[in-house]
Amino acid sequence: MPQQVVKVTRPTKIELIRLRRRLALAARIQKIVKDRVSILILEFLQIARQTVDAKRRLLDEFAEGYRTLSITAGYHGYIALEKELAASERDLGIAAGLRNVGGVRIPAFELKEAEPGVVSYSLADTSSWLDRTAELSQTCLETIVELAELQRSLELLGREINRTKRILNALEYLIIPALTATIKYLYMKFEERDREERARLKRVKVLLERK
Amino acid sequence: MSGELPYERLLQESLKHELKVVNAHLPVEQKPLSDLLREEYPHVVCKDGTTHLFRRKELEYLAGLLDAEEQGALRLPLLIEVGAGSGEMAVLCPGEAAAKVIACVLDMTVEPKQGRVTIYRPQLAVIRRQLRTTTQYIFPPRV
Repeated sequence: MPQQVVKVTRPTKIELIRLRRRLALAARIQKIVKDRVSILILEFLQIARQTVDAKRRLLDEFAEGYRTLSITAGYHGYIALEKELAASERDLGIAAGLRNVGGVRIPAFELKEAEPGVVSYSLADTSSWLDRTAELSQTCLETIVELAELQRSLELLGREINRTKRILNALEYLIIPALTATIKYLYMKFEERDREERARLKRVKVLLERK
Repeated sequence: MSGELPYERLLQESLKHELKVVNAHLPVEQKPLSDLLREEYPHVVCKDGTTHLFRRKELEYLAGLLDAEEQGALRLPLLIEVGAGSGEMAVLCPGEAAAKVIACVLDMTVEPKQGRVTIYRPQLAVIRRQLRTTTQYIFPPRV
């Protein structure tokens, strides 16, 4: 790829100093951005693994939950089960906030725990299958909330990695090579100017000697 | 400079934003674990004004590793300094409690040097897996 040269108004030493400063700054930023990308990728992979794990867990819990629910329904009968569960509805509380991972704000959800040990159906009239079903549905809820957090995090991290990579590529393949090429071009200009100056002096010397 | 590459201004704006963003998530003030355990929604306020929420389970895990005095001394979130360009990182451990936590999480003895415990990438993954919300990255501007 041909290297682009930043157009300079005047090839002067001041311009060269300015460009060298810019190059140093660009190199510093490149290192920081590179580190950030690698950290974001590490986090992304970790969250991806956790997402897969949570999904698998959720599927297992759902399968187990439906199995116990159908056994419970068979044991008690639909009408009796509905009667027991009618009063067991309760509001769910989720604490939502933000978490920051390497400059990316990701959501944080936490299911507020209901009062432990409190069940809203009659323990005397129901079997342990219903307890097991309730327990499994609670676990499913927790996993759903966890999965929601993980999936959104994955999406946000992916977007940020994409954005940061573009910046890194721009630095690596555009800005830094262009600055380096311009600095090289300025050095060549200065050398050429020196050579011209030397030739001019020689000519003046010859002219003076002739006189 | 008058002559600029196409889109250079745009890129420079992005870079400025990048430098602002890179450490904006650092907490204004770290809080002791004992205080966080008492809060209903344990959190710290970040430099950019946002809040960083801690997971209660993690705080309880940390509380299980430390005694009451150490819980007061451990200030959260723990900061992980990302070394520029190298694979090395360091957990900033200003006190004994932080070093003890890192030792327990990594299941190895650690010796802080000048208040830092040097770690490597695989160890970072272990720490982040266990302490996802109670650790934060710090990108030092010096290179």
